[in-house]
Amino acid sequence: MRRAVFILLVAGLALAPWVLPTQDRPSVSASTAPFQRQVNSAAQVPPSELTLPLKPGSVRFAVIGDSGTGDRNQFEVAGQMAKYHEKFPFNFVIMLGDNIYGGDTPGDYKKKFELPYKTLLDAGVKFYASLGNHDNPNERFYAPFNMSGERYYTFTKGNVGFFALDSTYMKPEQLAWIEQHLQSADSAWKICFFHHALYSDGKYHGPDPDLRARIEPLFVKYGVDVVFSGHDHVYERIKPQHGIYYFVVGNSGALRSRNLKPSAQMIKGFDTDRAFMLVEVAGDELYFQTISRTGKTVDSDTLIKQP
Amino acid sequence: MATRMKSLKFFPVVTCILALVLPASRALKGQGVPAQEGVNLDALIIQDFENRVSEYAKLHKAIDAKMPALKPTDSSEKITQHQHELAEQIRKARQGAKQGDIFTPQIHAEFHRLIAIAMQGQAAARISTSLRRAEPVRLRLQVNADYPANVPLQSTPPSLLMNLPKLPEEIEYRVVGNSLVLCDAHANLIIDFVPGAIP
Repeated sequence: MRRAVFILLVAGLALAPWVLPTQDRPSVSASTAPFQRQVNSAAQVPPSELTLPLKPGSVRFAVIGDSGTGDRNQFEVAGQMAKYHEKFPFNFVIMLGDNIYGGDTPGDYKKKFELPYKTLLDAGVKFYASLGNHDNPNERFYAPFNMSGERYYTFTKGNVGFFALDSTYMKPEQLAWIEQHLQSADSAWKICFFHHALYSDGKYHGPDPDLRARIEPLFVKYGVDVVFSGHDHVYERIKPQHGIYYFVVGNSGALRSRNLKPSAQMIKGFDTDRAFMLVEVAGDELYFQTISRTGKTVDSDTLIKQP
Repeated sequence: MATRMKSLKFFPVVTCILALVLPASRALKGQGVPAQEGVNLDALIIQDFENRVSEYAKLHKAIDAKMPALKPTDSSEKITQHQHELAEQIRKARQGAKQGDIFTPQIHAEFHRLIAIAMQGQAAARISTSLRRAEPVRLRLQVNADYPANVPLQSTPPSLLMNLPKLPEEIEYRVVGNSLVLCDAHANLIIDFVPGAIP
């Protein structure tokens, strides 16, 4: 009898997190809770389960970086994205650069973008690209990348303003452009995405200190909330820096296996397989789920907009 | 006394000759701008660089204007074709162009000075780290050659760009190893380069 009670107790404790509805799970606010805490821990999420709340009217998108290899791994990540799109119908994808590796022929565009994401493209999902150091700057004229012929640009979805930057060539005119557009943006959330990471524990590249010295003060001054970058072929979530949430998603096609050297700034790292992110923004909350090539959830959490 | 007076008599003549000859010799040595009294020589050299770049930009625009305008398109083929055609026409028009046509020895020296200024103090270590982490590339540079599609772009630190002369939209600076390259970003073409510009 005592043994049966013990088994029931253990089973109850193990199942408790899944019984709680998503919106009732505790959320993490950088201003009130330490970020080291893993809430809604990825380890607890069964394969293929969606942790995002699918709130009415929310802004939903996916994030990929360093994707354009054209190899089997890219196709498998794209396959998972299509699978998750059925459960989480995101409207668009942001691309963090290195969209087309190793060439710029029509065949490269086909093999490294059009074919892998065909299911999503056919479903009407839009892709918004930023340029990486392996990209020909003329990719900006490729209409499916929605760059309107510009190397840096902005667009708004719901209450979120997106700013795509060209971190390979951050000339003074671009810095002035960022300042002007961040200052005049009136969206509740400001999300910047570009290729080179300002913070990264990737051993191969690491952060770009000069880029950080020049653009981070603008991000802080004009209230940027989240920054997505790639370049290091790993996934990493960084502790908020100066009130900004930073992610590295540089493993949606390429991978530098076991390349992370964890430091005190890392909340979560994943460097043993490819991954992409799903993001949902609703009101003052940003929910995200990071999913591996095999469909396993490697990170998920809720971020609260900083005051 | 008489001898002294005699030598003083020639002083203005000698001064005039030196004034005419020295700047000219400096200009010849640098194939660039002659110094003028009261004028900043560095500013003149930069002006010379900008004029040379402007000449290139005029050529680029004239050729581009004769081609169908490149607008956002679903056809990656059109983008590639436009780039190759533009590069080919510019190459033809600049047949015989060689390293140093834009980065003359004087301009070359001036860029060394500007880069050294950018890399002073605290910024030095920061820029060096950024350059090291920016995927340094090795490439045999050649004027009028395409920038190879399979070679990544080494990012150019913003602090460096802030200290270099502004370029027209279609032209950009690229770092290749320790060389500074002037590149036509639309035509993906190497216009000129300064070997060993980056310390």
